[in-house]
Amino acid sequence: MGQYIIRRLLILVPVLIGVSIVVFGLIRLIPGDPVTVMLGDRARLEDIERVREELGFNRPIYVQYVEWIGRAVQGDMGISIINRTSVMVELRSRLAATMELVLFGLLIGVVVGVSAGVLSALKRNSWVDVTVTFGALVGVSMPIYWLALIAIYALAVNRQIFPPSSRIDATFMVDRATGFMLIDTLLMGNWRYFTNALWHLLLPATVLSTTVMPILARLTRASMLEVMRQDYVRTAEAKGLAARTVVIRHALKNALLPIVTVIGLQLGGLLGGALLTETIFSWPGMGLWTYRAIQSRDYPIVQAVVLVSASIYVFVNLLVDISYAYLDPRIRFQGG
Amino acid sequence: MYKRLWWISLLMVVALALTACPAPAPAAPAAPAPAADATAAPAEEATGPGPEDMDGTLIVGRGGDSVWLDAGPATDGESARVINEIIEPLVRQEGTTAEIVPWLAESWTTEDSQTWTFNLRQGVTFHDGTPFNAEAVKFNMDRWRDPDNEYRFGRTFEYYTYQFGADAGIAEVNVIDEYTIQLVLDAPSSVLLAKLSLGFTFGMNSPAAIMEQGENYGTPAGTAVGTGPFKFVEWIPDDRITVERNDEWWGPRPNLARIIFRSIPDNSARFAELQAGTVHQADLAQTDLAMASDDPAITVYSRPALSTGYIAFQQCTEPFDQLEVRQAIAHAVNWEALIPAFYGEYGELAGSFQPPAIPGHNPNITPYEYNPDKAKELLAAAGLPDGFETDFWYIPVIRGYFPDSKAIGEAIAADLARVGIRVNLMTEDWGAYLEDRNLGKFPMWMLGWGSDNGDPDNYIGYHFRHPVGEPKVEDCYDNPELAQLLIDGAIEADPDARVAIYQRAEEIVKADVARIPVAWATTTTVFRDEVKGYEPVVFRSWYEYIWIDSN
Repeated sequence: MGQYIIRRLLILVPVLIGVSIVVFGLIRLIPGDPVTVMLGDRARLEDIERVREELGFNRPIYVQYVEWIGRAVQGDMGISIINRTSVMVELRSRLAATMELVLFGLLIGVVVGVSAGVLSALKRNSWVDVTVTFGALVGVSMPIYWLALIAIYALAVNRQIFPPSSRIDATFMVDRATGFMLIDTLLMGNWRYFTNALWHLLLPATVLSTTVMPILARLTRASMLEVMRQDYVRTAEAKGLAARTVVIRHALKNALLPIVTVIGLQLGGLLGGALLTETIFSWPGMGLWTYRAIQSRDYPIVQAVVLVSASIYVFVNLLVDISYAYLDPRIRFQGG
Repeated sequence: MYKRLWWISLLMVVALALTACPAPAPAAPAAPAPAADATAAPAEEATGPGPEDMDGTLIVGRGGDSVWLDAGPATDGESARVINEIIEPLVRQEGTTAEIVPWLAESWTTEDSQTWTFNLRQGVTFHDGTPFNAEAVKFNMDRWRDPDNEYRFGRTFEYYTYQFGADAGIAEVNVIDEYTIQLVLDAPSSVLLAKLSLGFTFGMNSPAAIMEQGENYGTPAGTAVGTGPFKFVEWIPDDRITVERNDEWWGPRPNLARIIFRSIPDNSARFAELQAGTVHQADLAQTDLAMASDDPAITVYSRPALSTGYIAFQQCTEPFDQLEVRQAIAHAVNWEALIPAFYGEYGELAGSFQPPAIPGHNPNITPYEYNPDKAKELLAAAGLPDGFETDFWYIPVIRGYFPDSKAIGEAIAADLARVGIRVNLMTEDWGAYLEDRNLGKFPMWMLGWGSDNGDPDNYIGYHFRHPVGEPKVEDCYDNPELAQLLIDGAIEADPDARVAIYQRAEEIVKADVARIPVAWATTTTVFRDEVKGYEPVVFRSWYEYIWIDSN
């Protein structure tokens, strides 16, 4: 097991080198360069040339790459081209904001999706099943930005149930100790701030959760149906266990394996969905940051975000693989 | 084994508890400020706000975050609007014209427009307690003009280069005494005051704050320190910037206790926030303005136009080197029909290149007459009776001066097709667009200009002033009379003589069809109705005068 984890961690290195080369090249393939965007309509040719020189964009691209990756492995992601601030410092607070949104969205997605899937499997072909199936179909075909706008109009403008955007009321001053608004407001011991932050989080997180919810519901349903047919479930039923015990302890647990895999794979979708969700809900996380950075061709920011997102994705999928052994004792990883 | 199941059921319980949570009412945007402020003196004159209205918090919704809160490196509008509340320049433009008024400088004199002496306002302190004096002015000016200044922290001071760099830079800054400072320019310039009025780039930062904070100054990791009506409180990137009233300000006491600039990138979401009342002011997309006007709780204020959308030509490229061809295009298109179709109430058919608020605007210049037959005659005279084919570039972004560039381009193309000019509508990414325009790659293109400082040298002068005989790469347009006029205009000290120069320049631009001005775009400011006291002035936000009706 230990060897397996080490080997998987080592595979991270070539993966991240590959990702870094691709992102470094791709962002530079987008027409227009940061200097033209930064200097805007007013810039004269000689100004553009001078600033390009100052920022080192006139050097060969492989020299720029080697220099960047050399510093990146030491944890220095460089400074923003546009406002000369440290990318790493900014990344920390952005990452916290995004993780708060993504984890909460994932939580809602898993809880609702898995529950709906279980219900749907148990009440197969009933109106519950049809409703869940239909809901999943609608959910999977709905573009997230459209859903976000509809949610804002319906629940924040017409009926002012939720705040339309942001992480907390604009007049509240929060000590940002961890960057997680829910934790920071709790650390301040301010219950009013905490509920306000939670209320701001609920709408975007729910919208974001729709990227995973339908898939999980459908998958749980299929997986549950398969497991429910197994002998050990029939045995459990036959020996007179309560229906709830059979479902949760015997069926759901065994049905979880493919679900956990999909949750890991869906994390990429969640991070992507966060980009749109953050843009519409003015959520100051990595998604919104990336969106701006791409617009202004702020290369170091885009590179850092992609590298970090790729690391998170690979790492979470490693955790998923490890969790197999826990969920299914028959699975043992071979070292070497 | 069971632990995991417990964990899952716990999650479900938590989730249920969360969804059952009672909805706290969205907090009112105008949260009452601390009681200490309420006891302060009420407004001197009875302009409207009662004592209970004096402590409002204005929440502004805008499309993007500021880049810097450092007067000097800032170049973008979102930085400028916050800096302008915190940091102040020596002179400003106030009201509905581009007239210069004293600000941190009380008066000034010059003999030859090259050596300028400013008498500074006395008794002013920065928000950090540093006294404002001639040394502080020199510190800031040295930072703008010296690329090796140790307090630049690798930032670029592009606006100094745009405004001063090319010809009339600041050669010397001499401290005469505590409150007198002398500037010597490289060459005489009558545009100096208009340039210095750009507070977001030529504002006075506290030298002590810059020295203490180093490269954090003016970024989210640091603060911004000036002498203005509002003080910096907090900056959360891509979320909000908060400023609060400076009770020690030298001017009249601002009515607002705080202003929060929120960053709301999505146009629809920003409009939704305005409708929901969670912001008091929002920058709206042109397409949302009509709906905003219909909302009984929202007022759309139109401000005098300060920008022009235009069509330009590469005059070293055939057939645009021929005047008749440019004239033919000018007469082939029904420009007047574009205004109601694409601008609604927020644009005006342009006659002269410069809008009326800019000194030197020529009211006698009328738009080109729509006359397709004349256009065909002109084409025939140019030796192109069957017309010709060309690329026509439209901007890939939304601007007030071209709210829907593609559709406007298509309408123009349709009119041109009727006289035999076949255009291929082209566009590309904005950065690439600007770059290729600079390199002179476009034969015919759409672009616009918005005034920086209200001076004609920054308007018509920006486009056509160049050394005689050395035309710009972008349009390759060379008229020695025009070039010389604009060089003279930048030096001429007498305001009336200057106006005459620029009005003549307008005539030349029209006669040569150097640009076809399409529309002057009105700037809009949108407030909810509980915001009172706003005046639609040309350049400023007017934040220190407005208040929020607490009823």
